[in-house]
Amino acid sequence: MRRSITLRLVAMFSAAALIIFSLIGAALYGVLKRELASHQREELNTLVQDMQYMIQRAGDVQRWSHVQTKLETLTPADGSIRFWVRSEDPRFQYGEGPADVEPAERGPDGLGRLALPGRKYPLSTTAKTIAGFQERPAIRLIVGIDAAPYMHTLNAFAGALVGLSLLGALLVMVLGYWIAQVGLRPLKQLSGEAQAIGPKTLSQRLKNAPLPDELSELALAFNGMLERLEGAYNQLEAFNADVAHELRTPLANLIGETQVALSRQRTAPQFMEVLQSNLEELERLRSIINDMLFLARADQGESATSLASACVTEEISKTIEFFEFVLDESGMNVEVEGDVRARAFIETALFRRAMTNLLQNAIQHSGAGSRIRVQVSEQPTLIQVAVSNPGAPIEEAHLPRLFDRFYRVDAARNDSDPSQHHGHGLGLAIVKAIAKMHGGSVFARSQGGVTTIGFSVPAAA
Amino acid sequence: MKILIVEDEQKTADYLCKGLTEQGCTVDAVHNGIDGQHLALEHDYDVIVLDVMLPGMDGFSVLKSIRTLKQTPVIMLTARDRVEDRIKGLHDGADDYLVKPFSFLELLARLQALTRRGRAMEPTQLRISNLLIDLISRKAFRGATRIDLTAKEFSLLAVLARRQGDILSKTAIAELVWDMNFDSNTNVVEVAIKRLRAKIDAPFSPKLLHTIRGMGYVLEPRSEEVPE
Repeated sequence: MRRSITLRLVAMFSAAALIIFSLIGAALYGVLKRELASHQREELNTLVQDMQYMIQRAGDVQRWSHVQTKLETLTPADGSIRFWVRSEDPRFQYGEGPADVEPAERGPDGLGRLALPGRKYPLSTTAKTIAGFQERPAIRLIVGIDAAPYMHTLNAFAGALVGLSLLGALLVMVLGYWIAQVGLRPLKQLSGEAQAIGPKTLSQRLKNAPLPDELSELALAFNGMLERLEGAYNQLEAFNADVAHELRTPLANLIGETQVALSRQRTAPQFMEVLQSNLEELERLRSIINDMLFLARADQGESATSLASACVTEEISKTIEFFEFVLDESGMNVEVEGDVRARAFIETALFRRAMTNLLQNAIQHSGAGSRIRVQVSEQPTLIQVAVSNPGAPIEEAHLPRLFDRFYRVDAARNDSDPSQHHGHGLGLAIVKAIAKMHGGSVFARSQGGVTTIGFSVPAAA
Repeated sequence: MKILIVEDEQKTADYLCKGLTEQGCTVDAVHNGIDGQHLALEHDYDVIVLDVMLPGMDGFSVLKSIRTLKQTPVIMLTARDRVEDRIKGLHDGADDYLVKPFSFLELLARLQALTRRGRAMEPTQLRISNLLIDLISRKAFRGATRIDLTAKEFSLLAVLARRQGDILSKTAIAELVWDMNFDSNTNVVEVAIKRLRAKIDAPFSPKLLHTIRGMGYVLEPRSEEVPE
């Protein structure tokens, strides 16, 4: 079951409110109870003091009868104040009821509780011993007052507290709901905005400015994800368009040339010319398709299979030897430097293919008489091979994209001149695929008029 | 050379049949696995070209049943270049495999390589018109003139001379001379041929090293020069 944040917030707000109200209520109840008790105590003390003076002086039976009269006058008809006097001498006694009206125990407020039949609440009592005088022995004066008014107040107060607390909690619940709604509004907006983003509006981003701090991070992360998705999506789109373009050009040539050839009577040499030209285009198609298949296999996670330990420099030398004539022709030379003894764990055919593409790329992009450097560097687990050639500076942004399929730094394509351009824009993508098949990676740098492109393969242990 | 082609795609079978017949081979072509198996077991072929995807009975099954009785060399043709397919084919006893789209020249080269296996020792000298190539001392002469070649130039010449009259594609040349076993999209072979031609052909007659546009190169004496 999915939990609603609003409901959870409301529940938590209400619970918190109830707890707080209960604690405050309990405290207030305690304070009131204590106040009321001290009030009762004061009242009782006043009564005791009033009587004490009179009783102290009543030393004989006659005087005691005055005391009794006084006590009687002080006792109201509703019995809300009661007096008892207890002593060893039956003459000096007062008040009906049990002999031990004085409760054995006293409450925490220092008052006794005396339950009398016919009364709802027990009386609050206090007692005082008054020393003997003349014939009168020491007596114990006990005063009780009715606690009912206090209890009523207390109960009414408690009732009000509970009612108000519940009402308050309810109010907090309603307010909490509203607060949650308001608080979560940015989230709703965010999800609305996110919903509006589709394949056609991938460049749209979530608006970060009006968002609170907590959501801002989420929006940033989301926008980052969009950025990456858009990149991949655009690359895929561009890639599809490029594939179509790359295949369409030779196809158009094939169709056109064949149609032209067939539309008139031609001599055998003329047909031969057409067939030869067609064959060139077909070879181009074949080469693109084969390379695309190679890349697709690499993409599907195929890895190099027949791995063997090989001397990297030796393989590089073989590749350089392959280019010997071309290098000679253009007056270039290639130098291999670095950890020339390094051994790597590679599939040699694939390694040579990557090396061929890198050298081809370097030769293509540097002028006659240039020097090309191949740097081999041994790292703990990897062997890095970097090919540097003097070349026009490449913007930082273009560098990682050099390995994209059909990617060209200059947007203008110059396919029309095959002697200038032998590749079809897949060479470096294949280098990347081969590095990946070996569990390595590729890198590109452009510094001080030198372009360096390279890849890494696992070192042989 | 007697060849059996088992290929269900009509156009492919037709051009293979035509091309190989023109190369002087005797060719039988069938379009399904069952006929293929039948012919392969009935007759003795020098080599069998066998497609993997066939109606009735697939190429692997045909290969298995051939191998129970015969050791005729088999080249498998496959449209799917998957490692598992290759391994399966070779494991089941195929002698070679080619991935579609393949070039006719490549198929021809593979067929020749398969049937050449186990043949007599290579000659130590090759002669094409007045070009003499000594494979032992690695020297080349045009008439009486010694031609000064670098090691790779000589290797290239020897590769072409061993297959004189055969058209060699750029890919095949790259593989045979430099051991570069892939389409390299470079102009290395063109440049190499240009240099070799300047040394062995330009100052001499007749011209021997010819470019077949779109296909590759051939070393042979020709009465008329093909326009380039």
